[in-house]
Amino acid sequence: MVLGVVRGAVWGARQASGLEGEKLIEVEVPGGGTKVAIDRLGAGPGDRVILAHGSRVRDLTIGESIPEKDIVIAIVDGTSLDVAQ
Amino acid sequence: MILGRVVGEVWATRKHATLEGRKLLIIAPYVWYAPSAEVGQLVAVDTVSAGVGDDVVVCMGDPARRQLGAANIAVEAAVCAVVDRTELAPENERGKRPLTFLGGLPHSAEDGSTKHPARRP
Repeated sequence: MVLGVVRGAVWGARQASGLEGEKLIEVEVPGGGTKVAIDRLGAGPGDRVILAHGSRVRDLTIGESIPEKDIVIAIVDGTSLDVAQ
Repeated sequence: MILGRVVGEVWATRKHATLEGRKLLIIAPYVWYAPSAEVGQLVAVDTVSAGVGDDVVVCMGDPARRQLGAANIAVEAAVCAVVDRTELAPENERGKRPLTFLGGLPHSAEDGSTKHPARRP
């Protein structure tokens, strides 16, 4: 699982049917680059989130029919590293 | 499995129900055999009350969920052990595939000798 920062929403008229009604967000992940993840917890731009990856996690959180394996499983309130910065 | 050091803790109130009441730790990996992504840090659920500064072993995927006692927990990484001491084989005995030490030597094996117990910061 990785800690990422939400850059913003992602949407597209033509998308896989399984994605209907799902909120897609783009998340900057450590090591550079971004991942698109499904968010059902209501994360907004600038929020820090924890992404989990994998079909097992997907089955447990959003169900097997959805073709996306990166899921927001927590919205971070704070970390002990914040104090240090 | 990943050998790493706990560098921080994460607090989150809005999270998946199965994460309720579980401590989330930030781990900086020392040794990660063929990491899938260039990840400097990962988040894992604590199961052995590890603290910041501890060297730990993180297990990924199903073993992590089993460690938490149930298969239906929405995580993929769990801290499975707190490391007291790490012994590193001498350079030339570490096998053919080069090991990438991502974060320097674990402080539980700073000088690689077997005499020194893990030093707590």
